[in-house]
Formats: sequence, C-alpha cells, structure tokens
Amino acid sequence: MLLGIGETLVGRLLTYDALGMRFREVRLRRDPKCPLCGEHPTIRDLSIHREGAAEACAAEPAGGGNGQPAAAGAPAAKAGG
Amino acid sequence: MKTLKDMLAEARQVVPEQGPADLKRRLDAGEPVVVVDVRDPDEYRDGHIEDAANISRGFLEFRIGTVAPEPSTPLVLYCQTGLRSMLAGKALKDLGYQNVINLQGGFQKWAQSGLPVAKDKPLNTEQIQRYSRHFLLSQVGEKGQRKLLRSKVLLIGAGGLGSPTALYLAAAGVGTIGLMDGDVVDVSNLQRQILHNTPNVGRPKAESGAEMLRALNPDVNVIPLATRIDVDNVMDVLKDYDLVVDGSDNFDTRYLLNDACYLAGKPNIHGSIFQFEGMASVFAPNHGPCYRCLYPTPPPPGLVPS
Repeated sequence: MLLGIGETLVGRLLTYDALGMRFREVRLRRDPKCPLCGEHPTIRDLSIHREGAAEACAAEPAGGGNGQPAAAGAPAAKAGG
Repeated sequence: MKTLKDMLAEARQVVPEQGPADLKRRLDAGEPVVVVDVRDPDEYRDGHIEDAANISRGFLEFRIGTVAPEPSTPLVLYCQTGLRSMLAGKALKDLGYQNVINLQGGFQKWAQSGLPVAKDKPLNTEQIQRYSRHFLLSQVGEKGQRKLLRSKVLLIGAGGLGSPTALYLAAAGVGTIGLMDGDVVDVSNLQRQILHNTPNVGRPKAESGAEMLRALNPDVNVIPLATRIDVDNVMDVLKDYDLVVDGSDNFDTRYLLNDACYLAGKPNIHGSIFQFEGMASVFAPNHGPCYRCLYPTPPPPGLVPS
C-alpha cells in the first residue's frame, strides 16, 4: 500500500486457519445498499456513534443479520485484535 | 524568425492544460496517468509532485520511452510555471504521443494550492546499511525506501495485531507511526503481544510500545497516543496519517473506525482474530467494499467475545 507495488487486499478477504494451516480467499464486493459507501448512503457523519453502540453498529441492516456477512462464503465476524 | 511567444501559441493549439486540483483528483482516483517533471534534477530534488518521473527538457525525447512505452499513455507534464512543459508537450505530440496534457501554472501553482510536495533527502550511511535488504529488491530500491520514510501510519491497538504490525513497519523504516491504545500492559498480554516486555508490565501500552519501536529503529517518529479512540477524537487523529491499521479488539471501535476512515478518505487495513482463526482485508474508500459491506450488523452481544 505504501510503496504502491504488488496487489493489495482491496476487494479480498484473506482468512487463516492456524489449526489446519490453511489460507483461504474470499472475493468481496461493495454492497450497493451499504449505508456508508453504497448508492444511497444514510451515514454521512459520525453522529450515529453518539446515539449508542447498538444503533451505531447496526445502521440500516441489509443482507445478513447477527454478525453474519453479506458476502457469501465469508466467515463470521471477529472482534479480536 | 519565430519568437518564443509564437512557439508557445503553436504549442497551446495542440496541448490542452489542466489545473493542479484536476490532476490531484485524477491521481487520487487511481487513474493510470504518468506525471513527468521536465525541470532540472536540482529543481526536482528541492520539491516535486510525488511519483512524478524526472526527465529534464534536454533528455525528453531520448528518455520518455522509459516511462511511456505506448503512444496512448496518458501523460501530464509540468515544470516550474508551465512554460517549459508547454513546449515539451508540443515536442511529445510531434513524436506521436496522443494524450499529453500540460499542468497549468506548473509546480509553483501546485505548491501554492497547498497540494502535497515530495522532497528527497538523501539517505545517510547508517540508513543505507540498515535498509540494504530493501535495496536488493528492484520493486523497492532507494526511491521506495524514501517513500517509506515519508509515510505515516496510524495503528489503532498495540495488542495482538498491533504488536507485530508496529514492529515490522518500524523495522522497514516507515517514518511516522502513531500508536493508539488506552490500555496498560498486563502479564497475560505477553503470551502474544510481543511489542511489550516483562519490565513494562503496568505501563501504558502506547508508551511501552513507543519505547520498543524507537530502540528498534531510531529513524521512526513514534507518536504514542495513550487514549482510547472515540467519536470525539477519531477524525482529528486520522487526519495526519496516510493509512490506518485496525488492530482494535471490539466491534464498536471497528465500526467507528470504518466509518471515520471512509469519511476521511483513508485506507483502513483490517485485521481480526478469534482463537485459531484470523482474517485480513483492506477497506479502501471508493476503491472497494467497506467493513459494513461485509458485516452490515454485528453479532448479538455475548455471541462473539471482544
């Protein structure tokens, strides 16, 4: 990213299973219904994050619910860092 | 006999012009435009548009092929005020280049508009030794190393993901690293958070981390931010960096950071783990999906631990 060389993970999700020693790749696409970056965005500033965590994360749910990804084949959300 | 005025007028007939703001917009959008600085090398060294190739006016016809192999390659030329490059543009049109534009007002107007300017400081002997393995890579070289030294990366979280990321970015010579974490080092962190060490248990992670990074590479300007990122500070913190690494450990922060990075136009390098599984992606505003495209809603509280 910094050097502008190679291929970045834009549009791709790289997953790693340490027990199986396996890497997997899932193609990601922009969601036209995304409330932030979609065709009709409803999030235009950060005010939603002041209203309360539940609302902030779950703005205009579309596609999946319960932390399940909208992209088919993608693993469940993880928070750990 | 033709005057200079005549030659410029002739050139203007065939070489269109574009202002600095338009060029910046094209570059930010990732358009494959080749920018050529036709000034002399010493002018270029004192300040130039990032990623512009320097082919001085005298060598133009001889070396343009190295940066523009096809006659259709989109070219933007500039000099100090836009006159030398106008004549250079005409020369390239005569050579057969179809898509040649002159930067109106030149580098002077670009800099006066407040647009970013790159300056090349030569590397010192210690740096040449330190980064010698980068010089062996043709895709990096001295030019790439200087680019790394000019880069600014913000790390949110100096924990399990932030640790190796911070260490490798510092080792590589990323010039400015912001390390943001509101926690203190706990002994249970040391099983994986290798940025910290036993003597630093109890210290704020941002400070402990900064100390390690500075010892690893004194070239790096480490900015410790011993505070949690939140809706009140995020936009202010983000603005000084080129990109953001999300190594946070809870969903609230991940969604906040996603939104803030998109609104600020900063790429968000995402990493997350749970037990034996990990995943990584890059959320680049307007180039690809964002975190919400992938996960429109978080898991119900309690289902996935933070």
